[in-house]
Amino acid sequence: MNEIVNNIQTVPRRSTSQWLFNPFSFVAGYQALLLGLGIMLISAFFGFLGNTHFDGVLDVHKGLEAPLRFFFTEGIIDWLTIAIPLFFFGLVVSNSSVRMIDVFGTQALARWPYIVISIVMLPEANQRVGVYLVAKFGFAAAPAAINYMDIFIFGFAIIVGIFMAVWMVALMYKAYVVSCNIKGARAIVTFIVSLIGAEVLSKMLILLLFERL
Amino acid sequence: MKLLPTVCPACNSQLKAKSLTCAHCNTEIQGEYELPVLTRLLPEDQSFILEFIKSSGSLKEMARLLRLSYPTVRNRLDEIIERLKKTESPKENNGKENL
Repeated sequence: MNEIVNNIQTVPRRSTSQWLFNPFSFVAGYQALLLGLGIMLISAFFGFLGNTHFDGVLDVHKGLEAPLRFFFTEGIIDWLTIAIPLFFFGLVVSNSSVRMIDVFGTQALARWPYIVISIVMLPEANQRVGVYLVAKFGFAAAPAAINYMDIFIFGFAIIVGIFMAVWMVALMYKAYVVSCNIKGARAIVTFIVSLIGAEVLSKMLILLLFERL
Repeated sequence: MKLLPTVCPACNSQLKAKSLTCAHCNTEIQGEYELPVLTRLLPEDQSFILEFIKSSGSLKEMARLLRLSYPTVRNRLDEIIERLKKTESPKENNGKENL
């Protein structure tokens, strides 16, 4: 088998950077889907523990207490609202034969950085600083008491959160490029359109979901 | 083993075979023969095609052998198909590029 891989020299090597930035070279289809659903379940669990809501394709907010199923449903909505338009664009724009399972599977797997976000958002300090900032800008009556440690934890969570969100978008784009074989301007434009549409739609659907809470 | 040159180093045109020799009895045949399209592809593309045929044209089997995902192997095959099309009809492609 190694001989075959060596002969076909341009196949991607299984390096750490490949695993971090383009795992879809090695994992797609049902395998990626199963991993992705696991990732969504873990993110939902940590979200449930810390009341961290993924209330939009790219959104993370501390919020209301809710049953675990709500957090998992948020993840499912976020995933489907981006995977469906990307699959549609893949069918229309790509010259390759696009498999639904690859698009949905890789988009699910691309959400792994949100596990990290749900973990760094666990400490209560994030909630306290959030409430404090809301009060500070005049949206609430009294500011909550916070200390330097709270600010440090909050700052750390914000930096990690932004980094992981950017990473997730990069992974989602890479997943789209690999699963639909679309490159260049067509890939960028269709991805951005899908992302904006998915952000709006997911917000609306999650709002409807929380009306049931 | 030396790689078969397929393109003229001076003007970049496609090379043709002018002489074929039997290594056993030294018989030499002179003429002007077109090189097969597949020989004009990169060696790694040729290896990919060979393995693809040996896998009975199964992308899933190729993905398993190369330990790559199905869409990655399919994309690679699509790239080779594009290169093959360009190799088969360079004049046609040149014309399109000029437009």
